Amino acid sequence: MTHDTQAAEAGHAPASAAWPIRLDGVSVTYPNGTTALRDVSLDIDAGEMVSIVGLSGSGKSTLIRTINGLVPVTAGTVTVGPHTVSGLHGRRLREVRGHVGMIFQGFNLATRVDVYRNTLVGRFARAGRLRTLLGVTSARDREVALTALDTVGMLDKVWSRAAALSGGQQQRVAIARALSQEPSIMLADEPVASLDPPTAHAVMSELERINAERHLTVLVNLHLMDLARQYTRRMIGLRDGELVYDGPAAEATEADFEQIYGRRIRPQDRLGDRT
Amino acid sequence: MSPGTTTEPATRLDLPPRPRTWPRRTLVFSALTAFTVATCLPAIGGIEIDLAAIAQNWRHGAANLSALLQPNWSFVPRTIQPMLETLQMAFVGAAIAAALSVPLTLWAARPTNPNTVTRTAVRAVINVVRAVPDLVWATILVAMVGVGALPGLLTLVLFDVGIVVKLVSEAIDSTDHPYLEAARAGGATQGRMNRALALPQSLPLFSNQWLYALELNVRISAILGIVGAGGIGRLLDERFGFFAYGDVSVIILEILVVVLLIEAASNVLRRRLA
Ligand SMILES: Nc1ncnc2c1ncn2[C@@H]1O[C@H](COP(=O)(O)OP(=O)(O)OP(=O)(O)O)[C@@H](O)[C@H]1O
Ligand SMILES: [Mg+2]
Repeated sequence: MTHDTQAAEAGHAPASAAWPIRLDGVSVTYPNGTTALRDVSLDIDAGEMVSIVGLSGSGKSTLIRTINGLVPVTAGTVTVGPHTVSGLHGRRLREVRGHVGMIFQGFNLATRVDVYRNTLVGRFARAGRLRTLLGVTSARDREVALTALDTVGMLDKVWSRAAALSGGQQQRVAIARALSQEPSIMLADEPVASLDPPTAHAVMSELERINAERHLTVLVNLHLMDLARQYTRRMIGLRDGELVYDGPAAEATEADFEQIYGRRIRPQDRLGDRT
Repeated sequence: MSPGTTTEPATRLDLPPRPRTWPRRTLVFSALTAFTVATCLPAIGGIEIDLAAIAQNWRHGAANLSALLQPNWSFVPRTIQPMLETLQMAFVGAAIAAALSVPLTLWAARPTNPNTVTRTAVRAVINVVRAVPDLVWATILVAMVGVGALPGLLTLVLFDVGIVVKLVSEAIDSTDHPYLEAARAGGATQGRMNRALALPQSLPLFSNQWLYALELNVRISAILGIVGAGGIGRLLDERFGFFAYGDVSVIILEILVVVLLIEAASNVLRRRLA
């Protein structure tokens, strides 16, 4: 019902409404005994674009992975939109994951598979039991995937193998794969850490645009302070698995970053200006 | 230049002490030597290597060898039919095994089957299949389904499936599959991501082993006939029984040529598929 009215207001059918994210006293201890998150509580509104910053090993990846259940929480609850992720299994968990897109530092494409079929993976969660069993794609799946590729400017490479693309192009395909899920939340785990500065800015702009145009909730892990300041409005700082900063990104001072990092700012904490 | 400057580097590197490996190496080497010697001692029931017998039989062997060096070319027409049967067994066996190996391999590898119970079960069955020697399989199957090409074919299928599933599933286990994590994060089922991503991604591994299985099949099926499992091997066994070494020689040469041809063809294919 609400979905229909929103669609009417927007003048076109929006893929889906953005979801809020809520972490309540979340702790994660890995099976080997490493505690990666300690009692983290967090409220992110639908449609916000938020960065998570922190040093290597501070728990950024762990935090972002609890949101789609890739990492199970040891304590606390994670809620996305109407669903409580913690405790979900099997079919129900896959359904929730279908609404949460994710982008990775290493792109995570099947390199021997063409761009088209890599992008279609984003449609798998929406297929019914029979389609899943037979492995067939619907006309709508194809249309959504191709539109997503067009959005990120990769339609001309649709029949290339992923291995034949540059890093920046691969990340664009990975974004298209996530977009074709028609997600309510977009997670990005260091999406630009493997890219050169101009490409990094291009990919960050892409995420910014997705947030603005599709009104998606975007949560992005970054370890570079200037990227967090430039592209996100709100910033969350992690140190040793604890939430040590939660506030506006643009106004975050050097002192704030030094507090998050637990050391002085170094040149390698900055990427450099967009060109 | 004084000898001191050549042995003493200008900047001394802080090298950690090198682990001492020679005591272990010496131990392993002497253990292996002792074991080899022990297995040849008749006193403890080891293998008897009777040099005198080898010398005695040599004359006999030399006579047979000279017979083998005179192939009876007129025998060639009679070998065509059994040779075709052998090739048929090899190809059909490799094709059936290739089809069976795909789901079994994906079930036997951890990245494509996170379920420990079913994975262990498939691996256990494959290990049992592989533990039984091919000639034993052939003998059992001949006893079960009778003399002919069928037991030979079944033996080859079992043998190939064992090899392909083991080697390919281990290769899949030992590589990273980040694209599977991405698909899982996007809510895909394991079965669908296996078919859409893991299979095309692992296809070179598969095709390599399928071709290897085909090469092995031609060699093995030449021998399987000896226990009654059809093909050129049965003719070989029969001519050997009649001491018709000229005919045997023709068969051996033919097997050699066919094996080399198949190997050359599969090398070309392998290069194309890579
Ligand atoms: N699968 C795992 N098993 C055990 N320990 C893990 C696992 N993944 C991460 N850890 C540990 O948890 C802690 C947090 O790791 P995490 O990957 O979340 O950090 P991060 O902030 O993303 O670091 P980076 O910037 O290097 O990616 C680290 O101490 C890490 O060693
Ligand atoms: Mg990380």
